[in-house]
Amino acid sequence: MPAPDRSVDELSVQHIGKEFATRGATIRVLDDVTFSVARGEFFVIVGPSGCGKSTLLRIIQGLEPASDGVIMLAGRPIGGPSADRGFVFQQDSLYPWRTVLQNVVLGLEIMGKTGTAATERAMSLIELVGLKGFEKHYPRELSGGMRQRVNLARALAIDPEMLLMDEPFAALDALTRETMQQELLRIAAAASKTVLFITHQIDEAVLLADRVMVMSARPGRVLETIPIELPRPRSLAVKRSQEFQALVDRIWNLVSETEQV
Amino acid sequence: MTLSMQHAMQERKKARAPKVLAWFAQRKTRRSIISVLVIVAAWELVGRFVLTNPLFFAPLSAVVEAGIRLWQSGELQKDIIASFSAVAYGMILAIVAGIIIGVLSGASRAFREYTDSFFTALYATPLVAVAPILILWFGIGIASKIAVVFLMAVFPILISTAAGISNTEPTFIEVARSFGATRLQIIRKVMIPAAVPFVITGIRLAIGRAIVGVVVGELFGARAGLGFLIFTSGQTFDVPALFLGVLLLALAGVVLTGAMKWIEARVAGWRHVEMD
Repeated sequence: MPAPDRSVDELSVQHIGKEFATRGATIRVLDDVTFSVARGEFFVIVGPSGCGKSTLLRIIQGLEPASDGVIMLAGRPIGGPSADRGFVFQQDSLYPWRTVLQNVVLGLEIMGKTGTAATERAMSLIELVGLKGFEKHYPRELSGGMRQRVNLARALAIDPEMLLMDEPFAALDALTRETMQQELLRIAAAASKTVLFITHQIDEAVLLADRVMVMSARPGRVLETIPIELPRPRSLAVKRSQEFQALVDRIWNLVSETEQV
Repeated sequence: MTLSMQHAMQERKKARAPKVLAWFAQRKTRRSIISVLVIVAAWELVGRFVLTNPLFFAPLSAVVEAGIRLWQSGELQKDIIASFSAVAYGMILAIVAGIIIGVLSGASRAFREYTDSFFTALYATPLVAVAPILILWFGIGIASKIAVVFLMAVFPILISTAAGISNTEPTFIEVARSFGATRLQIIRKVMIPAAVPFVITGIRLAIGRAIVGVVVGELFGARAGLGFLIFTSGQTFDVPALFLGVLLLALAGVVLTGAMKWIEARVAGWRHVEMD
């Protein structure tokens, strides 16, 4: 796996703020969030629930407007959703009336790319996520882990520069989650994508990330960004190393301090 | 019975185990057949020994005889075709209009807010009450029956389609949006497929109302049809023919609803299995 080229900023998030108006009161969920992600980097955001990390991801995807600030992707300010960002949803978001193949091809279809080329592209991604032979299955016939693999293939099908992942493994059981973490590392490297990943599981963050950004409780602010210099490829054995434990403890302290506020 | 025979039978039972579903279906069929036979026997016996006054009731055999008589004279075929065509044309119009208006109403908030109370009011109104005026407008031919069937059938389809469209899982819409889908693409690729089971439920509800509609339309004025058969038989105290008309309508309801279930399993099977 080639080392991420840290000299190039893929994503640059500058002074993002977000306010929601509810029944007369204004709630500030994000406050002056600034960070950047290098090309090819695996960047993980952790924070207590309600810190606005999901909102932040939705803003970067263009599903929601920010109240203030600018987001640049590869040097250009982002508008709405577009083919340069692929979003992996937390919930079970596959269309139950479509087969695996039809689900994976959805993004290409929306962009007006249909026909053999689109089908081939989708087939190769289904193979990449390890679901070859399941193209004609319906989501209800798949396990939770398999559905999240389809979810990932669907986001990758449009060949985005960046993957945005919103707690994609939160609903999986512990064993499946560990397998999927390994699979994600393999797939992200094979597809050489920049990944912005959100989780509230600290060990997951340390295992996956090149850098972990810790956010505070509401309003969400950047507390600290911690580089994770564990060697790659990382197997589950790395979790037993002292270095790994030290990083988890450090992040855990940051998160638990902010939660008590 | 020897031990080896018992063993062989147990083996056979084991082999049958995966076919539990087929067996269940068989039992269901058996029960349906038994219930039909019981009703048939009860009908015949009550007609012969309890309600013997031919002005009030007719045993099933007399109803069958009336059926044969009317079939041979060619009247029955004419009545069946008249009613069936009115239901078919009226339903087709109602399905097309109901789906188009339902999608508009489910997808456009403005459209919904302008029309919602109007549609709900019409759905709740016993529209058979307007059958006489439709016969004045469209004559005693098939056109007025199609109009009644349409009015009876369109609202359940429309309301159910609109409910399906507006209840589309928000995450499904978000997914399409995350790929930059336009509003029209969201309607076509997400909302309409998601609403299919609702549309089919609406059509199933509409079938019963369509049959009521055609019969009432024919009662108020017609030249042929099962409702017409019931009406004229009542006037001439031909009780067996009257029951024949009712029986055929009941059968039509069973057949059409069964056909809808078959279509539902094919078109919206993904939902059916999920609910089990």
